[in-house]
Amino acid sequence: MGVIRFATVLTAALMFGGAAGTAAFAYDGTKCKAAGNCWEPKPGFPEKIQGSKYDPKHDPKELAKQQTTIEGMEERNRKRVAYFKKSGKWEYDVAKIPAQ
Amino acid sequence: MRKYLNSVSLLSVLVAAPLMTMAHAEDKLESLAKSENNWVMQGKNYSANHYSTLTQVNAGNVKNLKVAWSFSTGLLSGHEGSPLVVNGKMYIHTSFPNNTFALDLDDPTRILWQDKPKQNAAARAVACCDIVNRGLAFWPGDGKTPPLILKTLLDGHVAALNADTGAVVWKIENSDYKVGSTLTVAPHVYKDIVLIGSSGAELGVRGYMTAYDVRTGEQKWRAYATGPDSDVLIGDSFNKANPHYGQKGLGTSTWEGEAWKIGGGTNWGWFSYDPDTNLVYYGSGNPAPWNETMRPGDNKWTMTIWGRDLDTGEAKFGYQKTPHDEWDYAGINFMMLSEQKDKDGKTRKLLTHPDRNGIVYTLDRTDGTLISANKIDDTVNVFKKVDLKSGVPVRDPEYGTRMDHLAKDVCPSAMGYHNQGLDSYDPTKELFFLGVNHICMDWEPFMLPYRAGQFFVGATLNMYPGPKGNRQLAEGLGQIKAYNAITGNFKWEKMERFAVWGGTAATAGNVVFYGTLDGFIKARHSDTGELLWKFKLPSGVIGHPIVFQHKGTEYVAILYGVGGWPGVGLVFDLQDPTAGLGAVGAFKQLANYTQMGGGLMVFSLDGKGPYDDVNVGEYKAN
Repeated sequence: MGVIRFATVLTAALMFGGAAGTAAFAYDGTKCKAAGNCWEPKPGFPEKIQGSKYDPKHDPKELAKQQTTIEGMEERNRKRVAYFKKSGKWEYDVAKIPAQ
Repeated sequence: MRKYLNSVSLLSVLVAAPLMTMAHAEDKLESLAKSENNWVMQGKNYSANHYSTLTQVNAGNVKNLKVAWSFSTGLLSGHEGSPLVVNGKMYIHTSFPNNTFALDLDDPTRILWQDKPKQNAAARAVACCDIVNRGLAFWPGDGKTPPLILKTLLDGHVAALNADTGAVVWKIENSDYKVGSTLTVAPHVYKDIVLIGSSGAELGVRGYMTAYDVRTGEQKWRAYATGPDSDVLIGDSFNKANPHYGQKGLGTSTWEGEAWKIGGGTNWGWFSYDPDTNLVYYGSGNPAPWNETMRPGDNKWTMTIWGRDLDTGEAKFGYQKTPHDEWDYAGINFMMLSEQKDKDGKTRKLLTHPDRNGIVYTLDRTDGTLISANKIDDTVNVFKKVDLKSGVPVRDPEYGTRMDHLAKDVCPSAMGYHNQGLDSYDPTKELFFLGVNHICMDWEPFMLPYRAGQFFVGATLNMYPGPKGNRQLAEGLGQIKAYNAITGNFKWEKMERFAVWGGTAATAGNVVFYGTLDGFIKARHSDTGELLWKFKLPSGVIGHPIVFQHKGTEYVAILYGVGGWPGVGLVFDLQDPTAGLGAVGAFKQLANYTQMGGGLMVFSLDGKGPYDDVNVGEYKAN
């Protein structure tokens, strides 16, 4: 009986110690893999989320949309500026800018 | 003779020496900014110190301030930023659809010109936090190109208007609202370059800063906040003085996979510029989505203080304040420049920046070295401290956020202990006058897909007053403080009913002016914080005051029109406390103190103004 009690206390102590240990090692931002790279997964979370239950499963087509739209705007702006420099007139509507 | 020549040569050297030590030739805009008759840019000057040397209105007589004249913009919703004053004219901007008005200070009855852009109303639907705009910029012209007013439109356009006529000189596309990318940032003009930020991190927009030739609208450079070094404009000299901040490859390696493509980091706050270093200073915003579990890694270079070459865009330094953000502490707040002696007595060129994360950062602006990083309020609990040597904030894991967990009593909240307000710095007192928020929160993230053009937030928030406020009443959400960046001491601190959202302006008359959400413009003594004067405006304030002189009279002007993030509940009639990204609950009392508005109020001693002669502005019959 005495032994069992002792064992229970020991288990509790180990569990408590374990929990405290986890907290001490939780992500606090101070343990860096390299300069400027100090992220760590939190206790119970994966290093990589791909394939885990937190996988965002991003669609590459959606991810590409912003770059496509920026390239389109940059191209139209280039035409506007070139025509402005040439003619001294600003034409926003690129369809109305005469071909070079 | 020889002796004479020698002495002449010596004299020339002596005369030339001070000129030679001047590292740059002052440009026209910089010299216009030195006249107290003008307020030519949102920060007042390149250092963005928002400080006026005028003393006609001072701590002794500020109680005699009265309204001199006023102007309604004809629009509701939040009126952020401030008007500009140049060469006897005032230029006023509005909320969406971003109209512009030019007024004559001698007779502001007559609107000299007005610009009313036609915009697709769909742009409104992708604005995260009210349809605000932070203001205009001015470029003085060069003889060939007329003086220009530069403006941004919510739908992503940037336009240059002839400052004398309002005619559009050029108009380009910077952002596409169809992918959730909008513009609320004020253009910033330095020399002959106009800088344009970006908005939309709540819709997964990858942030970028763009420089255009002010004369033609031609793109000079574009620097992204995330992705390959070639996109971020990181070269070999980046962070040379502080390699521990991180250098190459981190714009992709601190992300998993291609998450950086929708990684946020937009910059919609305030910039500053030092002609000696030729560096422009600004902060990049929060990473997307708010759900931290969906983007493992430090998520560089979001949440970063940048020093970039004005002409090439190349980054000289980048210091990430909040690695792997878990609280939406968008790092876009103002960058204010000063020269002060550090603790070792060495005079340094500094940059001071109160961040959303509750820390006021002061860096050496020549190379990015950290000088101080102090808590804005002692109730900040997300970080234990910022380690000045390593540069990393020491996180308290108890106040982090993560999936399948409701974090509670996190301070600051996502609205930050400081937000978009543009504050002031008194160089004679070496004090920053900070408009501070006192708001904490509960936060629980959830999974969600990314669809271009749709919101990509992924967190539910409850916000409420911080420990020093009244959580039962939902009041006591703000503070105003005077701060020394070297000692870290606060000379004085005062509580406010609501967040001090709009910023401050300080004068040599020992007065600090600011507007409040409950609809006052207030003046406090800059040495003691004592409240000296206030006036009840038609609506709450989210912009900053300006101080200028016209024909010998000192005026204080401020926009009114409540809105912005704290006003979304009131503006869009929302009741659910978690709506408006959690702001509705925090500001549930706001509607009991103010309603929407939109306009400008101008003050002077005893209300002296253009209509003291009642015949000014009258119709004259033939």
